[in-house]
Amino acid sequence: QELSAEMAARKTKEEQQSKLDHARAEKEEAEKREREAAKTKEQERVRREIESVRKGEQQKIVQDLIAKGNIKVNVDDIENLDTQKLVQLQVEQIEKQKKEVNDRLRIIAKRLDHTERAFRKEERPLLEEDYTR
Amino acid sequence: MVRFTSKRPILLQGHERSLTQVKYNAEGDLLFSCSKDDTVNAWYSHNGERLGTYGGHNGTVWTLDVDYQTKFLVTGSADNMMKLWDVETGQCLYTWEFLTAVKRVAFSEDGELIVCVTEQRAVAQGAIRVFKINRHDGRIQDPEPISLFHPIGTKATLASFGWDSKHIITGHESGKVAIFDAKTGEELRANEKAHHEPVTDLQLAPDRSYFVTSSKDKSARLHDSRTLAVLKTYTTETPLNSAAIAPLRPYVLLGGGQDAMSVTTTSLRQGKFETRFWHKVFEEEVGRVRGHFGPINTIAVHPDGRSYSSGGEDGFVRVHFFDVSYFKARPYGDLEAEE
Amino acid sequence: DADEDIDYTDIDEKYAVHYDESFLDNIIVVDGIPIVKAERKERLVTKLGQDFNRLGASFKPGSLHMPWDDENGQNRGYVFIEYPTVDQANSAIAAIHGYRFDKNHAFAANRFADIEKFTNMEETYVEPGQEEFKAREHLRAWLGDPQGRDQYVILRGDDLQVFWNGRNGSSALVIGRPRWTESYVAWSPAGTFMATFHIQGVQFWGGPSWTRVRRLVHPHVKLLDFSPGENYVVTWSNEPIQIPENARTGPDIFSSDDEGNSVAVWDLKSGFVLRTFPSGQQGEDSATKKMVWPMLKWSGDDRYVARIQPGQQISVYELPGMHLVDKKSIKIEGMQDFEWCPWGDRDRDDQDGKTKGKRARENILAYWTPEVVNQPARVTLMSFPSRTQLRSKNLFNVSDCKLHWQNQGDFLCVKVDRHTRTKKSLYCNLEIFRMREKDFPVEVLEIKDAVISFTWEPRGERFCIITTNDPNFGNAAPGITIKTAIHFYQLERTKGDFRLLKTIENKTSNSVFWSPKGRHVVLATMGSQSKFDMEFWDLDFTGDDAPRSDKDPGANIQLLNTTEHYGVTDIEWDPSGRFVASSASAWRHTLENGYALWDFRGQELSKQVLDRFKQFLWRPRPRTLLSKDQQREIRKKLREYSKQFDEEDAAEESTVSAELIASRRRLIDEWNAWRIKVKRELKEEKGK
Repeated sequence: QELSAEMAARKTKEEQQSKLDHARAEKEEAEKREREAAKTKEQERVRREIESVRKGEQQKIVQDLIAKGNIKVNVDDIENLDTQKLVQLQVEQIEKQKKEVNDRLRIIAKRLDHTERAFRKEERPLLEEDYTR
Repeated sequence: MVRFTSKRPILLQGHERSLTQVKYNAEGDLLFSCSKDDTVNAWYSHNGERLGTYGGHNGTVWTLDVDYQTKFLVTGSADNMMKLWDVETGQCLYTWEFLTAVKRVAFSEDGELIVCVTEQRAVAQGAIRVFKINRHDGRIQDPEPISLFHPIGTKATLASFGWDSKHIITGHESGKVAIFDAKTGEELRANEKAHHEPVTDLQLAPDRSYFVTSSKDKSARLHDSRTLAVLKTYTTETPLNSAAIAPLRPYVLLGGGQDAMSVTTTSLRQGKFETRFWHKVFEEEVGRVRGHFGPINTIAVHPDGRSYSSGGEDGFVRVHFFDVSYFKARPYGDLEAEE
Repeated sequence: DADEDIDYTDIDEKYAVHYDESFLDNIIVVDGIPIVKAERKERLVTKLGQDFNRLGASFKPGSLHMPWDDENGQNRGYVFIEYPTVDQANSAIAAIHGYRFDKNHAFAANRFADIEKFTNMEETYVEPGQEEFKAREHLRAWLGDPQGRDQYVILRGDDLQVFWNGRNGSSALVIGRPRWTESYVAWSPAGTFMATFHIQGVQFWGGPSWTRVRRLVHPHVKLLDFSPGENYVVTWSNEPIQIPENARTGPDIFSSDDEGNSVAVWDLKSGFVLRTFPSGQQGEDSATKKMVWPMLKWSGDDRYVARIQPGQQISVYELPGMHLVDKKSIKIEGMQDFEWCPWGDRDRDDQDGKTKGKRARENILAYWTPEVVNQPARVTLMSFPSRTQLRSKNLFNVSDCKLHWQNQGDFLCVKVDRHTRTKKSLYCNLEIFRMREKDFPVEVLEIKDAVISFTWEPRGERFCIITTNDPNFGNAAPGITIKTAIHFYQLERTKGDFRLLKTIENKTSNSVFWSPKGRHVVLATMGSQSKFDMEFWDLDFTGDDAPRSDKDPGANIQLLNTTEHYGVTDIEWDPSGRFVASSASAWRHTLENGYALWDFRGQELSKQVLDRFKQFLWRPRPRTLLSKDQQREIRKKLREYSKQFDEEDAAEESTVSAELIASRRRLIDEWNAWRIKVKRELKEEKGK
């Protein structure tokens, strides 16, 4: 009797203990899940933020490109531009600017030279007059 | 004008003082160099590995030459000695001793003769000697020359066998260039005004029919080996120490530079001393290769024309390998000069 | 070449005239005397006495006879003078002949024995020397170059070479002579003459054949200054003038009156000495004495030349008489420095009557006086010869002032170096006078750093300043290059004041070189031992396409190229504003001497390394003969000219390249023929 009572009590205790253990495990498990979820969420947030910054930057580069010159970029395509493509566009842009500067310089040089020569040419007959005067 | 790019040059660091002469053997697999640090070195020309050192001189080694079989090496030094070496073993086979420094030595085409120029000093007249070489046993040599003569007037500093082994071409301190009979010592021809300052180098074309001289007068000239007629003149803005004729392409290579005293610190720092490439026929500069940190003292072109070496006041030998651009460059269109 | 040395034989011959000693040969007749009424006769006689005395041809009272025209109550325009000996009469002729008495009168002196010749030419005035001048070559012939090129001269050792500067860095020798000068070379302001310096004096060369046009004998001459109109020159020698015994006399050489003097003013056309002055040195005592050059400053119209006695006065002399104007100097207590306002194109047009109803502006000079007790420093504008004070401005806390005129005389900037009350740090005020506006409005720009350079854009409305706040400034150790900032300002037309266009920070540039046509600028680091950079800038890069915006007023300012010229000591633009020459002179160091030519973009066109190289000078050009309208017309039709020039250039290039190819072909053929012959001979000999 005593033994059985003892057994029962032990059993109860064991059951209680087991229940407790179980509950604790479950709780731990839940906490863990929660932590994981938060972590994933945070990672996702960071990723999104990075992405948005990247997009923003890309957007800015593209806007810049469009503003600076008439590069053929479809605004709707901006979403689809990858970094490599952008770098390529930037290089194109720099090349284009370099070419523009050189073209302008060539024109300036020609204008300078030709104005000077035209003046000298038209001055030539006047020189003769100036001498005989 | 282009700045010739070279594949990464090999830097030979075996000398502690300025170089005096560099020379390839006939096959071009070996490069010999001598220097003011008394040493003579032999290198594998394709990778710059040192084959050996020829030790024995006690003074600046001014000059060297190697025969057509790469059997014997001859050197001349400020210690008043001329030495004959076994190229392979590095052994000194024979030593001639004079009263003054040996300024220039050269083999004849067949390796049977050596011409040797000794310096003029109070104790002795400047002399040109021709020695007959015993090619069978290098250790047994005649101490006496087969001919000995003293050019009068201006000092001779350079000599080489000319068109054939019967003629010696000389370069002089006054700028004079002359031809002597190797046997009699008679001056057969002279161009007193080839340069107006000392002649610093004299190198023959592969077939010996013409030669190039460089001078402190900042110019280099191409001469007919038989008549001494000046064929071409290359005028630079710097005193020249060396000139070489390139096979394969119609160029001459010129090296020199202002003396260290009058040279800018930037030039020294930046290694701006350049080998100049001039078109042999058009007398126009076509390109430059820079790299030395002081004047260039000596230049030699590989017999196959695909690389060259320069020895500098800075103590370095630089071996340059021409890249495609050098061979492809046709600055003058399709006009081709005969070699 | 000894031929080029000055020799006296031609002068000696010219004056070594021998006459028969008859009784009339000691009398000379001088023609070209001003015509005056009786009341001014005495004054004229006195003046003649003074001038003749100064020229070394003094005569005794009573030995001058002035023929009188009683009918008209005036003199006849010539005088007779009797000298004690024939020799004296002859030397008087030499001294007086050709002398410019005043603006309208020049003397012709002759023997009385030749009087017959003169009876018919009483009233006709022949400008002396003019005939000789006309017979000369066209001194401006170089301007007629069909290719519109400019010239430059280089000095190497004592050898001079003049070159045409062709397109793309090509050059063609005009003339070269060994040992052409004994020290240096200089051009006159409009390029008409090239001056060389010798122990005996200065020589002037010009014309297509580069003959000697003039020679001025001033032993040991060191310095030379031309008047802006090339009519006069000033020379200075460190050795006071000495007159040897029995020296020849004449208007073109110094006389005993000049003895001990060091500075001489000459008439370049006649070669006559106009006046000499003691020394070019200024200062209270020998310790503070310093050489100030130019010692005499010319008004823009060549009419006046002024000399300053610091702290006291400005003495202005009129040309060609070299008399003190109104017989009195401009006395200004404490005055430190002055500058004449330059003459602009519009002033000259006004003077030449090319602008309707406009009269030329009177000459203006600007001077400043420093602060003294109870009295501020002050800048004053004064017109001359009226001596009217046009404008003055008080300044405070002044350590120094520099006067910078814009080259057309449109603006004056007074750069005022100021100190804080504690005198610890320096800053700067720019006081800018607008000279073409009523009452000469002044604008003040305060710059908080030290200003080490101020330059006006030639013919423009912009200026550039270089500032520094580098702590090393003023006491930099060798090898340290001062950090600077460059600022460009421009006149805002609508508001009438100057505004900052752009600042370029963190540079080492310390020198600004404006193109003579404006717009383009070279910024350079000069005098450093380690930095030799040159930056080529364009201030109107985008031109008219992009009008200046208020947001970014400096948007038109563009760096075209950055380069380096090792050891550079001098930089100069060509007169056309198309090219720049940089040079490294052996006068300063002996490292890589020589010169380089660049285009305005900073592209190197050619470089010459030459030992003993000393000087590179572009030949200046006079003002264009084209009127404003003609210039406008040409600009309008530029497209047509352009087409023509492009065609000419293409034709030239193809000719050149065709010639070049042909000559190379020939060289190759010659070479190959020789090689083939030699190879054959070699083979034959080897076969033997």
